[in-house]
Amino acid sequence: MLKEIKVALIGNPNVGKTALLNEIAGTDLKVGNWPGVTIEKKEAAITYKDYIIRFVDLPGIYSLRNQTAEEKITVDYLLNEKPDVILNILDSTNLKRNLYLTTQLLEFEIPIVVVLNIWDEAVEKGISVDFKKLENLLCSPVIPASAKKRLGINEILDKIIQVYENKKFVQCEHFEVEFEKHLKEILKLVEIYQPVLLNLYPKRYLAVSLLEGSLKDNLSDALWQELEKLREKIKSIYGKDVKTLIIEERYGIVLSIYKQTVKKEPVNTVEGSLFLDKIFLHKYFGIPIFLFLVWLSFEITFKLSSPYVDFLNKVLEVVGIWALQILESLNASELIKSFVADAVIGGVGFVITFVPVLFVLYIVISFLEGSGYISRAAFLMDRFMSSFGLSGKSFIPLLLGFGCNVPAVYATRTIESQKEKILTTLMIPFMSCGARLTVFAFFVSVFFENQKGLVIFSLYLIGILVAVIVAMLLNKFYFKTKSEVFILELPPYRMPTLKYILNNAWVRVKSFIVEAGTFIFATSIIVWFLTNIPFGAKKDESLLAKVSQKVSVIFEPLGFGTWQATASLFSGFVAKEVVLSTMSNIYVGEELKEEKKSLSFQEGLNEIFSSFIDANVSLFKDLASTFGLVKTEKEEGEFKGLGSVLKESFTPAQAYSFLVFLLLYTPCLATVFAIKQELNSYRWMFVSILINFTSAWIVSFLVYTLIR
Amino acid sequence: MKRLLDVKEGCKAVVKDVDMDEALKLKLFELGILPGTELELIQVAPFGGPIKIKLHDYCLALRRTEAYKILVEEKC
Repeated sequence: MLKEIKVALIGNPNVGKTALLNEIAGTDLKVGNWPGVTIEKKEAAITYKDYIIRFVDLPGIYSLRNQTAEEKITVDYLLNEKPDVILNILDSTNLKRNLYLTTQLLEFEIPIVVVLNIWDEAVEKGISVDFKKLENLLCSPVIPASAKKRLGINEILDKIIQVYENKKFVQCEHFEVEFEKHLKEILKLVEIYQPVLLNLYPKRYLAVSLLEGSLKDNLSDALWQELEKLREKIKSIYGKDVKTLIIEERYGIVLSIYKQTVKKEPVNTVEGSLFLDKIFLHKYFGIPIFLFLVWLSFEITFKLSSPYVDFLNKVLEVVGIWALQILESLNASELIKSFVADAVIGGVGFVITFVPVLFVLYIVISFLEGSGYISRAAFLMDRFMSSFGLSGKSFIPLLLGFGCNVPAVYATRTIESQKEKILTTLMIPFMSCGARLTVFAFFVSVFFENQKGLVIFSLYLIGILVAVIVAMLLNKFYFKTKSEVFILELPPYRMPTLKYILNNAWVRVKSFIVEAGTFIFATSIIVWFLTNIPFGAKKDESLLAKVSQKVSVIFEPLGFGTWQATASLFSGFVAKEVVLSTMSNIYVGEELKEEKKSLSFQEGLNEIFSSFIDANVSLFKDLASTFGLVKTEKEEGEFKGLGSVLKESFTPAQAYSFLVFLLLYTPCLATVFAIKQELNSYRWMFVSILINFTSAWIVSFLVYTLIR
Repeated sequence: MKRLLDVKEGCKAVVKDVDMDEALKLKLFELGILPGTELELIQVAPFGGPIKIKLHDYCLALRRTEAYKILVEEKC
């Protein structure tokens, strides 16, 4: 029988916690969310020697005072889940602030293994540590490690086992003598007035929390009054309130430990990060450099991935043909054939289209985050974004929205503040994505031949304006009580390892496929049924047509109250990519079916292979075109019949109003489920859909009334 | 006594007092911005943006509103 050890990873933000866990567990890492919040939860289990070691990566925190959502998660986890061992990860180059948290962790009566991570950098900086002494002072083992250099990994695992088997917990008593006396006094009071508390909490944690007054629930009045007396007494002795006093005491402990164990030899190197910041945060050049890097990230994310999207589509096409051949040989009915080809393979295809772009996005984001640049971006854009009640961290996700809303929603992962994350996520759908642009471009070429650019530009502008208005309204009426301050750590610049970046990207893409992917797939199958029932009926007798007929009334004031326009909007709810083909199907009636091909297994493989080569070739072409070396040719000429029919069905004003609606209402199913996954809440998902629909209706109405 | 906001770029200063509501004050304390701590003002973002300070062995960005409420003694 393997024994199981539960280990909690705890440390400050930016100490390489996740990188270390990545190094320990590889791709076995699972990402999810903590219940009820947007904060990410990472877990991994490994088998090592005769043990299964289960790791839970708790959110990065500076303190355990139970103030922020991250701190609450950690405290709750320590008190309720009672891990066997705490793995406290510290940044060796920044020990003073990191040790502050350690002094709090020592109060939970759970054995700790202290890891001095990023040790390689500390050595370069001339830092040396008296490990024996540090272990004595912290009453816990201390191990130098580096995720980057794969240093100390086995030592950590061995130490976890040793500490676990040892079963002994040594309580450190760090505070100065007088203060320790007060803590003992409190425990005596608890024993007299409410001894049950002693069974519920670790003693020292209990004493300190009671003293600060942060533990208030279910206290007996008698105990509370005694505590108040004690707080008053301490205040009169030290001349400051208890909370401040405790923090000062802790920093006192930290500084004394630091002085006794850490030596810093002056090294003759320029502080690299300070130098880089002189460039990246430069008064005049900082923002242009940032905009350039953002543009580059944008190009890389969308250009690098699009050839592989084509490739995956090709693979699915071949698989579809194979499936049809098999079904044909089994004499399957048309219904089943259409279901498999359109609903199942189409649904999978829809999910898979996002995989390359998300994979590349996560690579870009992991790099920006891991290198420390993302905090600089937040620093530079903070002034601008704060006018909308946001901070600098929202800028990149919003910008990515112009490429595709789905990765943009996932990019909000870098925003720590829950309020800001929700606000940004609700704004993203208004950023007009590439899929919408295809519809705009088609309509504009039909209706506004002479002002193409101007019309499209006006649509983008309307999207941004509505997003800003929505953010301001939400700030004013919903988030009004939750004003947050902007305190941002600027960690040293570091080069993340390729392995970490790829691992990270893969783990997240996997979680997208499993979580959002299943939802998207299921919903697209439901939508297929709606549009195809009753099977074989004429297009204006289908369920979709009938429902659209009823719903179309609400679009009457907007100028496009026909069932055809309504049905097109229904399909646009699934994805904007399919709007034009649906319209062509409804308005013209021409089925966009490709000629039926038959492919042997070998031929199919050949096609897949050659399309993979094509993908790589066009990748290099695209890359070249990013830097202006090659011009990519444009495709035109699709949907020939649709234009002339549309011209008869819409006036230009109605067409523009239709486009405004298309711009503002829910971008696509994938975005909807991305929002669900990222905000970990159905509520916010529905709020987002609601905001999009109402604002789309209102703005389209205003626009149509004005220009009619 | 000066406000941290008025400290010159590249100058050091010692924290004297933090004049904010309790929750925020304690948060800054926990990050190490305690009375007696030496800070260095490294950079100021353009267009009224945040400021970058160095304390202990790390760097932190604060908005001007917060920097205004931190009272220091400039050492330049």
